[in-house]
Amino acid sequence: MGCIDSMEREELDTTAQLARLELSEEETRRFEQAVFQMLEYFSKMREFDVEGLPPTAQLKQNNTTRADRTSEQQDSASILNNAPELEDRFIVIPNVL
Amino acid sequence: MMEANTFWNTVLTDPLRQESWLSSVREVDRKIHAFLQIDPELGLAACKQTPTPQGKTDGIDPLQGIPFAVKDNIAVQGFKLTCGSKLLKDFLSPYSATVVQRLMERGAVPIGKTNLDEFGMGSSTQNSGFGMSYNPWNLERVPGGSSGGSAAAVAAGLVPFALGSDTGGSVRQPAAFCGVYGLKPTYGAVSRFGLVAYASSLEVIGVISRRIDTIRNVFQAMRGQDPRDHSSVAYQQAAELKGRRLTVGVPALGSISLEEEVRGAWEKTREGLKQLGVVLKAIELPSLEYLVSAYYVIACAEASANLARFDGIRYGSRAVGFTGNPEQLVRLSRSRGLGDEVKLRILLGTYVLRSGFQDQYYLRAQRIRTAIRREFVEAFSGVDLILMPVYPCAPFRCGSEGLDPFAQKLSDIFTCSANMAGLPAVSFPAALENGLPIGMQFLGPPFAEERLLRACERFAEVIPVPDCPLALRADSGGGKSPRAGR
Repeated sequence: MGCIDSMEREELDTTAQLARLELSEEETRRFEQAVFQMLEYFSKMREFDVEGLPPTAQLKQNNTTRADRTSEQQDSASILNNAPELEDRFIVIPNVL
Repeated sequence: MMEANTFWNTVLTDPLRQESWLSSVREVDRKIHAFLQIDPELGLAACKQTPTPQGKTDGIDPLQGIPFAVKDNIAVQGFKLTCGSKLLKDFLSPYSATVVQRLMERGAVPIGKTNLDEFGMGSSTQNSGFGMSYNPWNLERVPGGSSGGSAAAVAAGLVPFALGSDTGGSVRQPAAFCGVYGLKPTYGAVSRFGLVAYASSLEVIGVISRRIDTIRNVFQAMRGQDPRDHSSVAYQQAAELKGRRLTVGVPALGSISLEEEVRGAWEKTREGLKQLGVVLKAIELPSLEYLVSAYYVIACAEASANLARFDGIRYGSRAVGFTGNPEQLVRLSRSRGLGDEVKLRILLGTYVLRSGFQDQYYLRAQRIRTAIRREFVEAFSGVDLILMPVYPCAPFRCGSEGLDPFAQKLSDIFTCSANMAGLPAVSFPAALENGLPIGMQFLGPPFAEERLLRACERFAEVIPVPDCPLALRADSGGGKSPRAGR
């Protein structure tokens, strides 16, 4: 594959930022190829005439609600036990500031 | 109906039998690596906490005591829920998925979690963060994916059925690769509560088994509205055919090429159906060749949103030895914990949702989705079922000699159509070519699962389900098949 121009590299960097992924230089090179191969494949969709076709966002057309009732949840210990770092019942994270 | 007191109904009740079965399971699994976790005791403990419904049914429930395997992106209380990802390698599920609960209420016992492509992304199980699984028919070949572990476990006779999830073919393709049945139900027929979301508008929990009656019983137990999943609906079975001849639509494959073995199986399947008195009718699905692009745009877009939660903050593996701010911690945790295929799809999904790109990608894909849905409605006005291949090639080789990731994606063309339209589909064993299973699939209109299963039963009259040489045989008490020599 020829060299990716700098505009596309910038697009990939921005996309990675938005996706909260940190790519190494080597990974960026690898993903550039794969991403742009797929995007090129996606461009095939341009051949399709979408005139008059509404988008399908989801398959279920009617809204469903449930009664606004409280129920007892399972013990929170089994949920908190999956936290990487706990102090009492608090999940420890690095300082935000 | 399955006979009660068969091997599978009682294997977990008799300690000696259980031990013998379990040791055979572990022995075979050393070769195929279908499981990420095997723990019948943990499953039995989860069952003890599940209330069984009051009111006696007549006779013994066919699911009573049956051990089953669960793909590791579906929650079972007390078991891990890794989703095949290093990011979740130590995550223990605090709850069970609705489908698992419903099966436990019927007496079935989850005994282990099966291997998968990470977060359901892949067609080979090679994208698992914990090593791939191997096809019991040929250990140098992939079992398919993403529910490869489930399909391999069933084909190897380790369990009578296993649960999987099907987003673009991930139940049907591995079932086809492993010579067993794989049912993908109608979207909404089965609750997704407890399924770790990859693409919420596409995926369905499905079931893999060597027996149609098992699939029927399992599906009947799982299905139905769930207040914890608002995309689920009350099940209303599609109309029966009332004695007239089954009409099956056959789409033109156009520019899609099939490998020789698959083409052979495709022709034999059509012949076999004709022999059974089925009417074959040509149908048109003009949008089919655009479907893979549209499918991947939608799937990746939804994946990028669904996987944003995996940040190492509240759960999951955090980057170790880190002292910066939480934002940096999230980036590092994700980057270290997620595999390449997952990152690729998140990047693609993020890209196609970016302002400025949405119209040409995401919106366009959704409009193509409308087109295929309409084409199916049109097709089903004249046929009862549709026949399609499952995958353009036979189970491919592991590693770099096999199909590269891009080619794998293009090959989803036959399976992703059912997900895009929300239709039920079942893959069934159609041929054995050079010792490798080839499957075909039926698609049906919404809620026509019973019609699909009956069609499979009829087809089994001409092409029965093949026996994998490696498999344990339940009728020999869970021991190895006399033919297994590996």
